[in-house]
Amino acid sequence: MQIQYFLLLSAALFCIGIYGLINSRNAVRVLMSIELLLNAVNLNLMAFSNYLDPTAIKGQVFTIFVLTVAAAEAAVGLAIVLAIYRNRDTVDMEQFNLLKW
Amino acid sequence: MAQFLLETVWLVPCYALIGGLLAVPWSPGIVRRTGPRPAGYVNLIMTFFAFVHAALALRAIWNQPSYEISIPWLSTAGLNLSIDLEISSVSVGAMVVIAGLNLLAQIFALGYMEMEWGWARFYSLLGLFEAGLCALALCNNLFFSYVILEMLTLGTYLLVGFWFSQPLVVTGARDAFLTKRVGDLFLLMGVLAIWPIAGTWNYTELANWAATTNVNPTSIALVGLALVAGPMGKCAQFPLHLWLDEAMEGPVPSTILRNSVVVASGAWVLIKLQPVLSLSPIVSSAMVAIGVVTVFGASIIAIAQIDIKRCLSYSVSTYMGLVFIAVGTQQDEAALLLVLTHALCAALLVMSTGGIIWNSITQNVTQLGGLWSRRPMSGLAYIIGTLGLIGFPPLGSFWALLKLASGLWEIKPWLVGVIIAVNAFTAFSLTREFCLIFGGKPKPMSERSPEVHWPMVLPMMILLGFVLHLPLVLQSLSLLPSWASLNKNAALLLMWSSVFGCSISSVVYLSNIIPKPVRLPWKPLQDLIAYDFYTPKLYRMSIILSVDLLSKLADLVDRFVVDGFVNLVGLASIGSGERLKYITSGQTQFYAFTVLLGVGVFGMLVTWPHWGTQLLNMMF
Repeated sequence: MQIQYFLLLSAALFCIGIYGLINSRNAVRVLMSIELLLNAVNLNLMAFSNYLDPTAIKGQVFTIFVLTVAAAEAAVGLAIVLAIYRNRDTVDMEQFNLLKW
Repeated sequence: MAQFLLETVWLVPCYALIGGLLAVPWSPGIVRRTGPRPAGYVNLIMTFFAFVHAALALRAIWNQPSYEISIPWLSTAGLNLSIDLEISSVSVGAMVVIAGLNLLAQIFALGYMEMEWGWARFYSLLGLFEAGLCALALCNNLFFSYVILEMLTLGTYLLVGFWFSQPLVVTGARDAFLTKRVGDLFLLMGVLAIWPIAGTWNYTELANWAATTNVNPTSIALVGLALVAGPMGKCAQFPLHLWLDEAMEGPVPSTILRNSVVVASGAWVLIKLQPVLSLSPIVSSAMVAIGVVTVFGASIIAIAQIDIKRCLSYSVSTYMGLVFIAVGTQQDEAALLLVLTHALCAALLVMSTGGIIWNSITQNVTQLGGLWSRRPMSGLAYIIGTLGLIGFPPLGSFWALLKLASGLWEIKPWLVGVIIAVNAFTAFSLTREFCLIFGGKPKPMSERSPEVHWPMVLPMMILLGFVLHLPLVLQSLSLLPSWASLNKNAALLLMWSSVFGCSISSVVYLSNIIPKPVRLPWKPLQDLIAYDFYTPKLYRMSIILSVDLLSKLADLVDRFVVDGFVNLVGLASIGSGERLKYITSGQTQFYAFTVLLGVGVFGMLVTWPHWGTQLLNMMF
């Protein structure tokens, strides 16, 4: 097993997340795509931690922080989605284009 | 005393200028209570001083050598401009003629302008003219002659445009200014071009230079043609002659001056430049050609006019054309003599007809008639003016024409023929005007026509005396040829042509053999001459049309191409802002996409050295 495979997997996951982030019409799915991005990053961190820093495993510490911050961020994100939904009765991203030119 | 007056003769132009300035306060807007007459009196007094001063100085300088005064004017790096004055019997004599004619014209104007409020403007302009002409007579420097000619051009504009509420006056003044201005501008080119060749603008030094120089014939021909073009406009020569016709819209007293003296200012410069002009045979023949065309054209046109003033204005062009011929054939003395005799006689003719206009109102000769029995003074003045102008011995112009003819007798006989023919034409036209005004039966417009009052008759009679005494004066100055050296053939031919012209004209217009109004067998020809060869149309179709089209084109280019280009820059900025704002689409996901795109492109650029070359190698 080599580090490249992990990195390629995490890059693929990141790209899937990007695709979902940009293309989803549902706001919740956008948040889900963000989670994918963060998890791709976590995978990266873990791989580096295992293969390059097996003794101090600073990458794993980073991962823990990212997980907790991501949880909080997702909570706030869902709160924002709910707040928008209350006002506009929809979670369609294409309806949220009021702040244009 | 006489010596002192001679040394201060340069004051003569200043008198007139001061007189002109002193007249200004009586403009209707400044002195509102007393009326305009003091302006005329003040000017008259100053002109009288100028005349007396010049006359006394002429006595003092007679048979004395001429001397020069040089007043430095401007001195910059490599250029020293000094106002050179030449005090000679000729220049002082010219000033006497100018001041004297101005004095008479101003007295005439006292009567003629009686029911007129604009004396201040009129007299101050007359003062300006007198000052300019006297300064021109004294000036011995081509550059300052040009300066004075330009001032006189402006003066002409203002004086012709005196009654500016009349539309024809406005167009006439415009044409007078622009036509003379064109000639003056060519003159300026010549003046500027002669500096590097000759290195001087002083007429005396120019003559010395011309005597010894050896210059490129092409360049001196071009310079000479430019120098001729100025006087050509000033002297109303073909094709720059229309302005004089239209300048007849101005007041009669100023016409006296213009017909006699102002047009001669161009001739004066031409005569002074004769040594330079004779360097190039092309220039000489061009002057003769212009002169010949003008004398024929103008003398024929003068026959076909019905306006009393225009009949005379074309004969002025004719005589200036004779001056051109004289200068073109290097006969300065004949030219000067012709200018002198023509000035007196032309002034007399305009005074006489001006008096007729004053109380017969119409200027149309076909509506006048039968004035001889009731207007003997004006009639007599007209007759003497006519006889003095055409070749009729012993009066003045006969000797001038004779001098010119006998000078040409050997070298260019055909020019003598031209002079004889033109003399006959002029005699015909002047006699025709006399017969139409004074002969025949009274018409409704001239039914009751009293003689004018003294301010108009007095200068007329004084001038009549001068014209009659001119031969005696010339004889005492030994300017007349002796009996032995007289070219009797030329004299006889001149006399016969005058008699011929006068008698045919009298027969045509006084007898009832030919029905009036006279019709030529071919009507278009009569119209062609009466309408001055359609010169206004010619101007409109050529110069005016091209300048007009060109300026319209330039205006369009300016408004659409130049302005358009600059406006395009602004419009492009506005437009691109208007279009580019739609990038701010309001879609958060689109913003995320542009962020990622930017990061991606930037990352690619930064990392290009590590993989770009390998990629290119792989592909190609």
